[in-house]
Amino acid sequence: MKPSELETMRKSFNTVKERSSSIKDIPSIKRLTSRVQEIKKYSFDNKDELFNQALESFKRNDIEVKFAETSDDALHIIDDLLEEYDAKVIAKAKSNTLGEIGLKEHLNINIIETDLGDRILQLKKVDNKPVHPTGPASHLSVSEIAGIVNESLGVDVGPEPKEIMEVVRSDVLKRLESAGVGISGANAIAAEEGSLVMVHNEGNISIVSLKDLHIIVAGIDKIVPSLEDAISVVKLETTFATGNFVTSYMNVISGPSKTADIEKKLLKNMYGAERVVVILLDNGRSEAIEECLYCIGCGNCIVHCPVYNAVGNEFGFNNYLGGRGVAMSKFIEDDETCFNSGLYMCTLCGLCTLNCPLSIPTNEILENMRKLSTDVGFYPKAHGNIMENVRKNNSPY
Amino acid sequence: MLYFRGCTAREKQTEIQDATERLLKLAGVDYHILDDEKCCGSVLLRTGFVKEAQNQIEENTKVLKGEKILTSCAGCYKTLKEDYEGLDVMHISQLLNDLVNDNKINLKKSDMNVTYHDSCHLARHCNVFEEPRNVIESVANLVEMENIRENSLCCGAGGGVKSAYPQIADEMAKSRLSQAKQTKCEILITACPFCKRNLENDELEVLDLTEFLMKYGGVDETE
Ligand code: SF4
Repeated sequence: MKPSELETMRKSFNTVKERSSSIKDIPSIKRLTSRVQEIKKYSFDNKDELFNQALESFKRNDIEVKFAETSDDALHIIDDLLEEYDAKVIAKAKSNTLGEIGLKEHLNINIIETDLGDRILQLKKVDNKPVHPTGPASHLSVSEIAGIVNESLGVDVGPEPKEIMEVVRSDVLKRLESAGVGISGANAIAAEEGSLVMVHNEGNISIVSLKDLHIIVAGIDKIVPSLEDAISVVKLETTFATGNFVTSYMNVISGPSKTADIEKKLLKNMYGAERVVVILLDNGRSEAIEECLYCIGCGNCIVHCPVYNAVGNEFGFNNYLGGRGVAMSKFIEDDETCFNSGLYMCTLCGLCTLNCPLSIPTNEILENMRKLSTDVGFYPKAHGNIMENVRKNNSPY
Repeated sequence: MLYFRGCTAREKQTEIQDATERLLKLAGVDYHILDDEKCCGSVLLRTGFVKEAQNQIEENTKVLKGEKILTSCAGCYKTLKEDYEGLDVMHISQLLNDLVNDNKINLKKSDMNVTYHDSCHLARHCNVFEEPRNVIESVANLVEMENIRENSLCCGAGGGVKSAYPQIADEMAKSRLSQAKQTKCEILITACPFCKRNLENDELEVLDLTEFLMKYGGVDETE
């Protein structure tokens, strides 16, 4: 990232910090925090039963559900569905999981990001990794964004947020007119009800979910026992990500669009999707350390991480930013990826854990991972030299 | 008491060893040092060289067991306390606090404004927050930074980052220093030689707690 981008990112992060720190210590949010800690622990301890229960519930709700062990499996399932629908353009909502499987790189049809921040990054074309899970473009200034939009859409907007938003919105809507497929992630999954919960502020997920086919890709770690639990998770995520109690929209999807208003005969596809397909993704999760899977994706760790504030999204893996992302990369990919994502960039200071609603001990996790990484030869040269010095002279210097 | 200097104070920031020994003498503390002191293994543990660290731990335990150990370094303190078994360890900031409370050192208070950087190892990891602050406040006015105690910002040197990614360590030091400068302090005090090493700069004087007392505490070594 460029120094100016880092500067803008730090400013945006300070705003987020101020907002979320004023809300996260109030008694109701503290209660919510410990409730979610229990939910995530319980969900991990009972993951197999909950997974099976979710499968049953989805089927009961007429939601098609498929299991993908790897990214490739998930992409194949998506390929088949898109072929079936002869899709030329698809509407996409923000999702770390879709970033994880590399959907955009894989498909060569037109994918339109519907979230404004993501759409701006998509238009930027190069160096366009997000910097925060809910504020992907918070490292770009309004004039940089105007420049990106003007260049890619051939328009002439000034550095005015409202103007930019309007231009991007009408362009996105025009492009999506012919789209029959929407694709998104989910913030939480309720096993008992077979419901998927998605939070958003822009209303864009509603657009995505109203296409004929709605594909939802979600990690198996998103499954919690009930709808109340799922709501608790997304509410806590919102609080820590934005400092607000709720987002403007919370979509709960528990089946395709249907009606029985004419002689009680079931008809599908009244307004919303005629088909909802859920792809439950493992991709290393069943091998991952328990605490890594507690993550609800609020991003509060990176906002407070001094390393992330210094270098930006270079510290992290794909859409999984900061130390917890580095840890996940070992399970999603391998030791080498973990090393390259910044296994040794962490100072092990522990500020992330202090600021994580789930108290994920990322510094301990990374310290332990380093033991395994040095064993297989992935460690910085400088550390190898220091180790030799200690061995020979009993001093690192 | 065994004064375990630690590699940084022993070899790189020797002024800290010097100030520490002068303070110990001044307070009449009966102490000794090891001529062949060995690395505690902290750097090895944090960078994943466990087998090699285990070696240091075994060697050191032989000489350290049964001693009352004093450390300059926050990293040694944490390592000897948490990664070794059954050692009796104390950080210099804790000892100084006792000495000040027991009137073993005579300090003079001035109206100088200073700020204090909590080292991660000492503060967030080992919960030593009050002692260094008490010592400082017996000599000067403590003006706090935005992030303190368990919320303190890392100086950037820890976890092997200073050696593997020096640019990141520098960038992080800059952020911490800018918080220090915002307090309008005259001096930035740390209680960790490794933090001091990373925070040293051309604009703001950075001192270890021991150096600060020797330089500005109004101590009289001729007494
Ligand atoms: S690790 Fe914790 S703070 Fe970071 S995104 Fe996950 S839940 Fe939020």
